[in-house]
Amino acid sequence: MSDNLLEVKDIHTFIGQFHILEGVTISVPQGSITALLGRNGAGKTTTLKSILGLTPPRSGSITLSGELLNGLRSFEIAALGIGYVPEHRAIFRDLSVEENLRIAERRKGDLARKADFIFGLFPDLKRLYKLNGNKLSGGQQQMLAIARALVPDNKLLLIDEPSEGLAPVLIEQMMEAIRQLSAETTVLLVEQNFIVASRLAEHYVIIEEGQSVKSGRIASLVNDKDTIQRYLGAA
Amino acid sequence: MKTLTTWVRHNRTVLIVLAIFLALYMMAASGMESSEWMITTVRSFSVGALIFLVASGFSIILGLMDVLNFAHGEMYMLGAFIGWTAYVRPDTIVDVLTPVLLIGGAFFLMPIWRILLQRLNLSDVLKRLWPVIVLLLGAALLVYGLAHYPIGRWSFDIPNDLPSSWSLRTDISYAGPFIPPVVASFEGISPLLGLGSLVLGSLFLSIAVSGFEARRPQPHLTSQKIPIQGLTAGILLMVLGLVLFAVNTPLSEWLYTLSTTLRFLISLVIATATGFILGSFIEAALIRPLYARPVYQLMITLGLAFITIELARAVWGYAEFQSPRPALFASTGEGCPAESLGGWLANSCSTITLLGGRMRSYNEVFIILMGLLVLGGVWLLLQRSRVGMIIRAGVQDREMVEALGINVRRVFNFVFALGVALAALGGALAGPALGLSISMGTTVLLSALIALAIGGLTSFPGAAAGSVLVALLQQFITKYGQLGINLPFLADPVKPSPPLVPASTVTLMVIILLVLPQGLFGRKE
Repeated sequence: MSDNLLEVKDIHTFIGQFHILEGVTISVPQGSITALLGRNGAGKTTTLKSILGLTPPRSGSITLSGELLNGLRSFEIAALGIGYVPEHRAIFRDLSVEENLRIAERRKGDLARKADFIFGLFPDLKRLYKLNGNKLSGGQQQMLAIARALVPDNKLLLIDEPSEGLAPVLIEQMMEAIRQLSAETTVLLVEQNFIVASRLAEHYVIIEEGQSVKSGRIASLVNDKDTIQRYLGAA
Repeated sequence: MKTLTTWVRHNRTVLIVLAIFLALYMMAASGMESSEWMITTVRSFSVGALIFLVASGFSIILGLMDVLNFAHGEMYMLGAFIGWTAYVRPDTIVDVLTPVLLIGGAFFLMPIWRILLQRLNLSDVLKRLWPVIVLLLGAALLVYGLAHYPIGRWSFDIPNDLPSSWSLRTDISYAGPFIPPVVASFEGISPLLGLGSLVLGSLFLSIAVSGFEARRPQPHLTSQKIPIQGLTAGILLMVLGLVLFAVNTPLSEWLYTLSTTLRFLISLVIATATGFILGSFIEAALIRPLYARPVYQLMITLGLAFITIELARAVWGYAEFQSPRPALFASTGEGCPAESLGGWLANSCSTITLLGGRMRSYNEVFIILMGLLVLGGVWLLLQRSRVGMIIRAGVQDREMVEALGINVRRVFNFVFALGVALAALGGALAGPALGLSISMGTTVLLSALIALAIGGLTSFPGAAAGSVLVALLQQFITKYGQLGINLPFLADPVKPSPPLVPASTVTLMVIILLVLPQGLFGRKE
């Protein structure tokens, strides 16, 4: 077997009648950051949701360290060790920062064990611990969403558009945090901003109109202006 | 200071509306004596507490699961009738428990069938066929056993056996002969055969249901471990059912010797527990398969409401009856009306002189206390427990909760069961205060829906505030219907007629929704 943590093979996903993913194949190697690139509406977010079983694929296979995920319910998939940081900073706004972290515990004491690591990455959260989620700024909410995924022991983190709508200073801070946490877990990152992606990730997969069209080491993509222009629409 | 001003600015409309209410409420005092005003207010809180018990469950279910449970009012009605039965005819409950425990226990054994079935290799035709056969066999056995099983039936032809005659006997003033409850024994067949058919029938039923489940594609990772907890629970329940059958008569007789207060408290527990189990069952069997099709779900709950009404009619008849007050709230003898809560407890008075008016100890004290207890209990559950945290998070973003590795479906089941249990408790509480009727559920659901629209559909404090507002309006309009309102330029006082009560609450809802589309405490989208 390969040393890939996650293998997604030719998945097809429908939302209602719409054929959103028409054959996506992704390999995420253990212990690295893989970036999922592509235009708006290409199917990047749906790919993450399909992995988690939130929009279950109709065909194809998904395996996490050799274990087949097809047919499992979302909570069972997540409990196998996948953390999810959704787009738009979807934290629970009616819950305090503490509760937002505590709800992610899979076993008692998860939070206590990880507290030092989490507050090391995001010192702000310690100060805001008792505050309600809706009182946080956009950047703080994004930090909280990432921190929430770090509470249990996860093998894989799915992070969706972490830099979206953040000020440049915050993007730097957030990138630094992701770089640090990737020392402990494997990351599959959806990122619209190619510069951010290229500085963080080691591997890439490009998705275009529901299909994975190109993958490889991101270092080789940086100079490939043609591909960038064609699939990402930016230089 | 600055936060206060921004808070006032953000909630300006709510504050204005509340101020208008307060002004109206104060104005209402001018037309009547202050003691009557006080009593009407307290009475409103009592009615409001009952509405709240229905509204709170409805709102949590709606908020978390997006299910509009139109059968919720009927669960209140059912709770009232089950509570009444447990209170007035405890022998019937003992009779019914045996078959219920046998069937329920058998369903706890389902995980074991599931594992055994996986080891079974059958052809496709056989796989489709056998569950149907086993189901029919199980149903036939159950029908056979139950047809010969005497559940203390009530005859509507014999006056002594009328439901209303039985409630008279619970009244402490009743001095007539005590009619012993029907002795539980199988008619015409030996108990062994009868019980055997019940046990086998329930086992077959649960095996058949597992068979139907197995026809659907199964996730390949279902654990092969035999769930010891479910196994022991199932066997224990079934054994308990059999033991109850053996001690049926002495247990019934013992229950009849208990004081009515104690029996009433037991009946509250039984009604609530029945509601919880029923709710859990309804969610699993009827609501769960239809999450993807909300319209069908809506129609199922509506249909369930009608079925419940007809079922209640079939079992209890058309009679509208008053549940007798438990002894603790019934005495009118020495030392009554009591001057204080202590005096009430000492003399079990039916009325207490409080706040300058005479309050009925059951309606205006006990029900309000229970309402506050539930309010506090549910609030604690929501704010302090892990389940509550998951519920609050799930109301906002179900998908994300699931993505954290939490089995939201199980929380759904719990919430639905909890909601139905609260409604059933409300019904059982309403029995001695407002009486029982088949239509009580529909009436209270309407009030609860209006209360929720006023308070904000999925807001828990909104449910409480809305319920009290609706009740205040209802009670004050009724009171003014007796007193008449002196309006300027009119010679005679205007007396609002009783039909104005529902109309006035709907008007209140319309006005509030025009000014505050989200209700008083609803979240702005």
